[in-house]
Amino acid sequence: MAQEYDLVIIGRGAAAFSAAIRTSEITSNQAAIAMIGFGPIGGTCVNVGCVPSKYIIEASKAASTQRNPRYPGIEPSDPSIAFDKLMESLREAVKEERKSKYEDVLKFYPNITLYEGKASFISSDTVKVTSKLGEENVKGYNFIIATGSSPKIPQIEGLEEIGYLTSDSVWSLNELPGEVGILGGGFVGLEIGQALHRLGSSVRIIKKHDTIARGIEREVGSELIRALENDGISFLTERDIEKVYRRGDKKIISTKYKGKSEEIEVDEILIASGRKSNVEGLSLENARVEYSDNGIKVNDDFSTRNPLIYAAGDVVDQRYRLETLAAREGAVIASNIFQHSSKGVSLQEVPWAIFTEPQLASVGYTEDEYNRNFGKAISRVLPLVTVPKARILREDTGMFKIVADENTGKIVGIHVLAPYAAEFIIEGVMAIKNGYTYHDIIDNSHIFPTVAEGIKLTSQSFTRDMAKMSCCME
Amino acid sequence: MAERKVTMRVFGMTCDDCVRTVSDGLKKEGADVLSVSLEDGMAIVKIDDAKISAEKLVKASVFGEESHYKAQLRKVE
Repeated sequence: MAQEYDLVIIGRGAAAFSAAIRTSEITSNQAAIAMIGFGPIGGTCVNVGCVPSKYIIEASKAASTQRNPRYPGIEPSDPSIAFDKLMESLREAVKEERKSKYEDVLKFYPNITLYEGKASFISSDTVKVTSKLGEENVKGYNFIIATGSSPKIPQIEGLEEIGYLTSDSVWSLNELPGEVGILGGGFVGLEIGQALHRLGSSVRIIKKHDTIARGIEREVGSELIRALENDGISFLTERDIEKVYRRGDKKIISTKYKGKSEEIEVDEILIASGRKSNVEGLSLENARVEYSDNGIKVNDDFSTRNPLIYAAGDVVDQRYRLETLAAREGAVIASNIFQHSSKGVSLQEVPWAIFTEPQLASVGYTEDEYNRNFGKAISRVLPLVTVPKARILREDTGMFKIVADENTGKIVGIHVLAPYAAEFIIEGVMAIKNGYTYHDIIDNSHIFPTVAEGIKLTSQSFTRDMAKMSCCME
Repeated sequence: MAERKVTMRVFGMTCDDCVRTVSDGLKKEGADVLSVSLEDGMAIVKIDDAKISAEKLVKASVFGEESHYKAQLRKVE
């Protein structure tokens, strides 16, 4: 006989925890919740995503600042880096974060039962959980699938034979690779690439296209590539990878470039070709849940084709894969199930960032997207050097771009490449969510001198010539 | 008109007063309350589905946004 639960959550990352906690709040901790999963608790973000990547990025920034001080009079020196100690501290930080934000949190929710194992649907309301201890069936009146995503591994001849790193395995390194070839140049490749470069690796990013990723404001993305090239990272674009193989201690990436063969010799290969939704093994067809290679198909309220089953986070077929979005979706679904709501999440109001230096942060439509969909965008671009605080920081690479509706002046997209961009993009979120115009941004005092002031200055540039304006001019 | 027996899971009840509040809330919607159990958080009622549907009953004001009681359908017979 199957154990029965009010809610069965498959997965135990950000979306799963958010859904479980919100459900507990709504039901006064009375909903019986099963949370089924395997591997370290907490999902991608805390274990192999945001937390370790931001840790190594900040550490590498400290090393880079010592090597390249920004201010005259402060002499450069080569930092002595014990990579193994750094990585040990990184793993310790991950462990602490996982304990405080996931393992310890569960103690407050006696209504949540953890199942260690892999779930697969055997009917529309029951899963079979397979663990080391055997198999058991778990029945749910409601389900949330929140199994996340994994690095996508491209089919390249020889790759499995010679081995490679991914954003899952790179955190186990104890020795800094001398030369690193990164296949793919999305967020993960850029962030880890810059960190390894600043710690002493020679990094080459090898990719087909000269853009970062789909959906990034083109000129802001190009400026980021320029910033990373200035930092010392090589971008080898227009490369088709034919095969990889080992030659002695080295790994050889064999590419086709402008019709000619080209070999790139590295010590380690990092795969950064995007992520795939974790749907394998769930037997979703047994539950009438529709999915594709891009993930589970959901309605606006995150219900699937089976109305008792919802999906949240990276496993969903949607534009972004973000921890914050996953957590929001988990909470929204809890409300939809237990408060009979039918809420959705507007992806146009969801900010995202690349934590390189400088940081790229973005929310809303790119100019092209808005023109394509609505045909009436206007925009302004402000170079970072026109922001006084950026000059104080001696940071000259970066820009602000604001996209607005031509008729109403309402802001529909803000894209920033600047120091601390991830910290202040929230102003863009509030602007888009509340339908602010660039006049509304101008009508609020911003602190001087901050990099965030660039959003106000860019707004002002819709109506005035910035060269004719004094400092803090209203 | 059709009489239905509705079984629902009720969350948020912690005392006999809660049971009374939930029972009164269900009666207010026209349901004939057969049982409301604090122990297993279940309520069984009879309804005339020409007057109120089971789906509407779990959204009654006693289970509304401001209330800390919530309900979900388990069985409609």
